[in-house]
Amino acid sequence: MQTVFVNPERCIGCLQCEIACAVEHSSSGELALSFLEIPVPRKRVHVEAGPVPTTAYPNKCRHCDPAPCQRVCPTGAITREGDLVLVDAKRCIGCAMCAVVCPFDVVTFYPLAGGLAPEAPVAVKCDGCEARVGRGETPACVESCKVGALVYGDINELVKSGRLRESGSVLAATGFAPTALPNGDPLAGWRSFGAARTAADAIGSRVWERRRRQSGANASIDGSDQAPPVKDNVTIEEGAR
Amino acid sequence: MSATYDNGRPLGRLTIHDDAQQMIDRAHEEGIETVWDRLRAQEPQCGYCQLGLSCRNCAMGPCRIDPFGEGPRKGVCGADGDVIVARNLGRTIAAGSSSHSDHGRDILEVFSAAAHGEASGYRVTDEAKLRRIAGEIGINTEGRSTSEVAVDLANELMANYGSAKGSLSFVERVPALRREKWTGLGITPRGVDRENVEMMHRTHMGVDNDYVNLLLHALRTSLSDGWGGSMIATELSDIMFGTPTPVVSEVNLGVLSTDQVNIAMHGHNPLLSDVIVAAAEDPELVALARSFGATGINIVGLCCTGNEMLMRKGVHMAGNHLMQELVLVTGALEAMVVDYQCIMPSVVDVAKCYHTKIISTSDKAKFPGATHVSFDPHHGAQIARDIVRMAVEAYPNRNHERVRIPVAPVQMMGGFSVEAILGALGGTPQPLIDAIVAGTIRGAVAVVGCNNPKLPQDLEHIELTRKLIENDILVLVTGCAAVANGKAGQMMPSSAALAGPGLRSVCESLGIPPVLHMGSCVDNSRIMQLAAALANAIGVDIDSLPLAGAAPEWYSEKAVAIGAYVVASGITTVLGVQPPIFGSQNVVNLLAGGLDGVVGAKFAVEPDPYKAALLIRRHIEAKRQGLGLPFIAADEIRDNESMAQTVGV
Repeated sequence: MQTVFVNPERCIGCLQCEIACAVEHSSSGELALSFLEIPVPRKRVHVEAGPVPTTAYPNKCRHCDPAPCQRVCPTGAITREGDLVLVDAKRCIGCAMCAVVCPFDVVTFYPLAGGLAPEAPVAVKCDGCEARVGRGETPACVESCKVGALVYGDINELVKSGRLRESGSVLAATGFAPTALPNGDPLAGWRSFGAARTAADAIGSRVWERRRRQSGANASIDGSDQAPPVKDNVTIEEGAR
Repeated sequence: MSATYDNGRPLGRLTIHDDAQQMIDRAHEEGIETVWDRLRAQEPQCGYCQLGLSCRNCAMGPCRIDPFGEGPRKGVCGADGDVIVARNLGRTIAAGSSSHSDHGRDILEVFSAAAHGEASGYRVTDEAKLRRIAGEIGINTEGRSTSEVAVDLANELMANYGSAKGSLSFVERVPALRREKWTGLGITPRGVDRENVEMMHRTHMGVDNDYVNLLLHALRTSLSDGWGGSMIATELSDIMFGTPTPVVSEVNLGVLSTDQVNIAMHGHNPLLSDVIVAAAEDPELVALARSFGATGINIVGLCCTGNEMLMRKGVHMAGNHLMQELVLVTGALEAMVVDYQCIMPSVVDVAKCYHTKIISTSDKAKFPGATHVSFDPHHGAQIARDIVRMAVEAYPNRNHERVRIPVAPVQMMGGFSVEAILGALGGTPQPLIDAIVAGTIRGAVAVVGCNNPKLPQDLEHIELTRKLIENDILVLVTGCAAVANGKAGQMMPSSAALAGPGLRSVCESLGIPPVLHMGSCVDNSRIMQLAAALANAIGVDIDSLPLAGAAPEWYSEKAVAIGAYVVASGITTVLGVQPPIFGSQNVVNLLAGGLDGVVGAKFAVEPDPYKAALLIRRHIEAKRQGLGLPFIAADEIRDNESMAQTVGV
């Protein structure tokens, strides 16, 4: 089974896959012209920030088999062809049942050039870049990804390479190999700032509550908005205590 | 507490100030987009750009380097990650230095016009300083008129901008040992414009392809700011508008008035704000305001224009960088008058939700949707009156039911120029040196820089400063850091109670706060000057002194330039926000390590304010040890409160 595999630990949130996807699905195929088209071409891969701002996950259709979206589609607009689950825009009535059952929330609704009615939103999702793959190329998102967060190939081969990376880590942990990665994680320094932002958030909340307590306000444990405002000069009294 | 929003998803703690939080809540209720919404919409932000690994310098590109080493490792031209990161950083520093230095040039041009008697509303206010500075850079002042001396000083400083001179005039202030270091490294700044132009040249494709050589020139470029453009801006502003002396002012959104015409001056340059303050006292305009039912005209400051006015005139301060949208949300502002730098384009959109006029004044900085009044200093006084009149005439449009002024103001003290600090010490730095030698004061730290929505607003400034003064470290502040500390009540003489026993006793005996407001961001040159004066008085280089810098919430290119000149001048600096250099381990190793052996100072990055305070305390004690002063060993420097806060509430 050929698929786009995701290595989320590799994603650095550059969004180049999103742009490449939209351009690939434009009429012109040209970056500078694509966003002027009507209807404007839409991306089918969605990079969302993770729990820490320096992490991200490029989310897209996994082409499930059996595909829940295909099963619920009342007009038969969603079909399977080989490894791909495809939407026929001409048969889509925009009922959004596919989006309701999609385990990955990657079906969006926009007017498409080939839609039933010109302005009616239809289901838009990854089509596996059929045409590109047919020409022997990789999907547009994979081609644009220079960090190996999106890779294309046989699923078992891709999983195996991930397994090999993992076994390196396991061996490192058990002392049979010097390190998992020869040069350490090149993103560790950068990622640490994302983690620090999350930590600063927690510190900020504590300082906020401390300042409220010191100003005589009852710290709002119950989530109410009733606590009186902070007096901003409270820290003077704090020092005098 | 419905503190934070993103379509129901919590954004986290955005600010630690009540005035800011109330206005954020209100903006959310009214559907007004603010900086925090836009940050969330931008996330995830591009990792190549955050790592410094993207290059847009030529049309063979754009290129990016795979930090994992499996994808492209070189740009089309062949530049590797080290070169790309160094080129990008060099351009950032050139942009920051250019901003300060162009601000300095604007001041210089008005000073020159005033010296020739061609500028209305401007004159030499501090004659003694004019003669002292002129004498310092070799201009004959004996028996010559004010205008003769001023013309010569203007011409001499104009020459600092080009390449006519071998080195900048104020480099003479730098301790000899430091000047020798700079000469040895080839980083003595020669001309303000020259270094910036050369930085742009070197970062063109196929010029400087050695990351070390690039970074050395980046330091030289920053020095042309700190000891050039910024210092010229500070000194000439003092001569024209008065050298600051200690003054008590008020700060936070509570400085807005419910029954006066409120005008916020936002940006960086004191040229306009100085004449606006005068125009606001014009009896005819005050009478006009009264005729509309207002009781007067209330000028408040924002950002560094606000700091310039606070330092010299005690004008009240509405807030720092992240308050610029929120001040509009009070609905109480008739006009926000802007010059340049750090003014978000979004203020125009927020102002449209209220009766507030945005009035742009610099032909360099136009804002679609704003009213533009071209500021010509030759007619400064008249233009200032026109602007104030526009604000007054907007007062009848105010919807008083929409006015929300969230808190009562807090007092803060400002006005600590180098002259004022030396004055408080009795004319020489010796008492400060004595206190440092005795260990009553362990050292001094400049806490400077911006706000950044990636961190809770003002958290880092306030908590880092609090920890430092608690441990007897004198804190010098400028820019947004000054406003943050003022709002937290850490900047009054009574705030000495927050300091450790040593610093507290010194502050109480001198009647000064433990956190000294030294001005706007160009006024970081005052901190350089003070550091040089201390080093010269002891006869050592700056890097021997128990000093440190911190830019806990920096966001701007100018802040990078400041950090670079502070480090190149010998003061180790801790950043709270990561600079875009982590794509090159070599660049990181140089800036955070190797530089120490070259200029005696380096950078560190530490977003946790408590850990940053520990890092700085250890650094200061190590410098004390180096000077043979009593010191505390690094492993004995702990902070119980910080540990408790790290573990849990």
